[in-house]
Amino acid sequence: MTPDALAPYLPLLAVLVLAGGLGAIVSVMSALLGPKRPSAVKSTIFEAGSEPSPGSARQRFAVKFYVVALLFIVFDIETVFLYPWAVNFKALGWFGYGEMAVFAVTLVIGLAYVWKKGALDWES
Amino acid sequence: MDGISITLQHYLFLAALLFSLGVFGVLVRRNALVVFMSVELMLNASNLTFLAFARDAGMDVGHLPALFVIAVAAAEAAIGLAIIIAVFRSRGTVNVDDIRTMRL
Amino acid sequence: MLTLPTLTSTDFLPLWPALILSAGACLVLLSEVFLSSASRSFQPLLTVIATVLGALVAAATVFSVPTGVFGGFVVLDPFGSLVSLVICIGVGLSALLAPAFLRGRQAERGEFYALLLFGGAGMSLLVLSNELIFLFINLEILSIATYALAAYLRRGPRPAEAGFKYFILGAFSSAVLLYGAALLFGATRSTLLPQMGAELARIFTDPTLSDRQPLAYCGLALIGAGFGFKIAAVPFHMWTPDVYEGAPTPVTAMMSAAVKAAAFAAMVRVFLVLGRGIPGDALLTGFSTLAFLTMIGGNLLALPQRNVKRMLAYSSISHAGYLLVGVASLFVKSGTTKGGVLGVTALAAGATPDTAGALRGILFYLLAYTVTTVGAFGVLGALERRDDEVRGFAWDLDRLAGLAQRKPAWAVAMAVFMLSLGGIPPMAGFMGKLLIFRSAVDAGLVGLVIVGVLTSAVGAYYYLRVVVYMYMRPAPEAGGLPERNLSTELALVLSTVAVVVLGVLPGITGTWLSRGGSVFLGR
Repeated sequence: MTPDALAPYLPLLAVLVLAGGLGAIVSVMSALLGPKRPSAVKSTIFEAGSEPSPGSARQRFAVKFYVVALLFIVFDIETVFLYPWAVNFKALGWFGYGEMAVFAVTLVIGLAYVWKKGALDWES
Repeated sequence: MDGISITLQHYLFLAALLFSLGVFGVLVRRNALVVFMSVELMLNASNLTFLAFARDAGMDVGHLPALFVIAVAAAEAAIGLAIIIAVFRSRGTVNVDDIRTMRL
Repeated sequence: MLTLPTLTSTDFLPLWPALILSAGACLVLLSEVFLSSASRSFQPLLTVIATVLGALVAAATVFSVPTGVFGGFVVLDPFGSLVSLVICIGVGLSALLAPAFLRGRQAERGEFYALLLFGGAGMSLLVLSNELIFLFINLEILSIATYALAAYLRRGPRPAEAGFKYFILGAFSSAVLLYGAALLFGATRSTLLPQMGAELARIFTDPTLSDRQPLAYCGLALIGAGFGFKIAAVPFHMWTPDVYEGAPTPVTAMMSAAVKAAAFAAMVRVFLVLGRGIPGDALLTGFSTLAFLTMIGGNLLALPQRNVKRMLAYSSISHAGYLLVGVASLFVKSGTTKGGVLGVTALAAGATPDTAGALRGILFYLLAYTVTTVGAFGVLGALERRDDEVRGFAWDLDRLAGLAQRKPAWAVAMAVFMLSLGGIPPMAGFMGKLLIFRSAVDAGLVGLVIVGVLTSAVGAYYYLRVVVYMYMRPAPEAGGLPERNLSTELALVLSTVAVVVLGVLPGITGTWLSRGGSVFLGR
């Protein structure tokens, strides 16, 4: 492969270097400058603000989550249609925008139904 | 390139293998969830076939079927799992052999 | 650089029925959650209005010139419009049957009507699809709505079982169809049906492309098998009785009427457009074998049934067989002379098979079968009671005993439907069979028609048995009568009148039906 073939990836390399460098600098600075007062709460495992779940990850989930999981799958997959549109956004113009608006409105109708139906509320 | 080059035939063979595995799974396996996963395998085999042919012919639009099939498969998964849960709640099993109240 | 399609109002013309049905479905769905405190009685009304509007819009496009719209993905042709019309009629009549049925089971929910309408939209688009992926998506829209409807009454083991069986076999058949589509895409490098047809013609004539022939045959066979499941042709029928029995009766009515019509029309379109390029009698042999097996299998399996709902399920299989005779006669090529039960006996020299005539026969049959079967399942659904359903004898023949004394009007309606299903004049079913068998004889499929007539005679036995039970057996003592319901009675009256009128005066469909033979084949 010639060096020319790699030229388009130069900005990517720049981003990697910048982001990596910034991350490294921040970590080093906070380790050097920050105050250190460890406590029992602070040294527990952090898990997205909730109680950490110890043990194996291969446990059974309550079936009440399945509706949320299914909704996630269905809505998540719709992004597959957004990507090709986003890539061709300029070429598609207002026509594509209109098509996508129809698509999004259809999804919003579904979401409104799901929300009002209470399917997103797993506590009840 | 040295060694084996991956040609259209390899993809098609893999897809045919996946499809056959899926058909075999639907016919032979007894767990409803596994049967359902076998159907998904068949859909993915079709996807792979579409993509392989599209790439071989150099057609960009040939990739579109795969996107639509993925979305359809997700919708199908949602309804299928809901039905399997309904079956499980009504009779406490997802074994295909036990799901036969009605017969000839 | 990508070129944008320019869409005109003509492009949307064939889509209007589906758009109206989807809009109605969204409205019903939103009304369910946003107006949940109010009475739900407007939901069936809204559903019926949507189907009537859909039917009117479909009817308005019957006289259009066949063209491809949306870049060739969708067709605007009289055949598609007429099948859309039949679908709207089937969905609308099924929706009329639903309120009383759902009220008896405390299951009145807007989702039911929304799913009916979404399914109807999928069916309407399915018959207009001229591209395999678009066709697959529409097939899945209708299938997914129907899976949910089949399992709609979650309580009790039967509906869940029906939904499950329908789902597994439906998803399996869709996957088979999709793999077939992928293989055909590989052979023809296109998914637009007319282009595929032209490419297939090249594959079978150009010796340099002959290595693609196996691929094409495999693809066609898999697509045929996928459709075979959807239309419940023997040997792909095994899901039908269980699903038809377990599903809520209005849903069964919708499945046997509208879903079957949509799947049939889509199959006819696919093979008609692709089939031009296929030499020999490959398609003819395939479809006549299917027709032969389906007519014999469906009728023989229906014979011993005492469960009327299950009997009607097998009867729907046998009717798929008669329709397949019509489909087979589409693929007779002029100049073929081959003997045997399945083959062409002898085509008069110089005679060309009448494709348009066969298509008209199929269309009339679909219409006649739709109104008849919705009515028959409607009577059955109105008579069944919740507690017997769980134990599974809600549909026993004894339930119909003495119906003539208990409910004379219903007995007349049921008798009309049974005579129509049996193909006994002067009902619509007879005219349908007559048209189909006549075009098959014209095409030279005499052997197949003889089998059809013989199996019809067998069928008359189990249809007439129902009539005998209604009129000649005493009513059981504790025969509770269902309460009157306006919409159920409206559906039954409409379908009875339609069956009789179509049978006595088939000419009233004349000018419309005469357009039905024109299918957009592409250039």
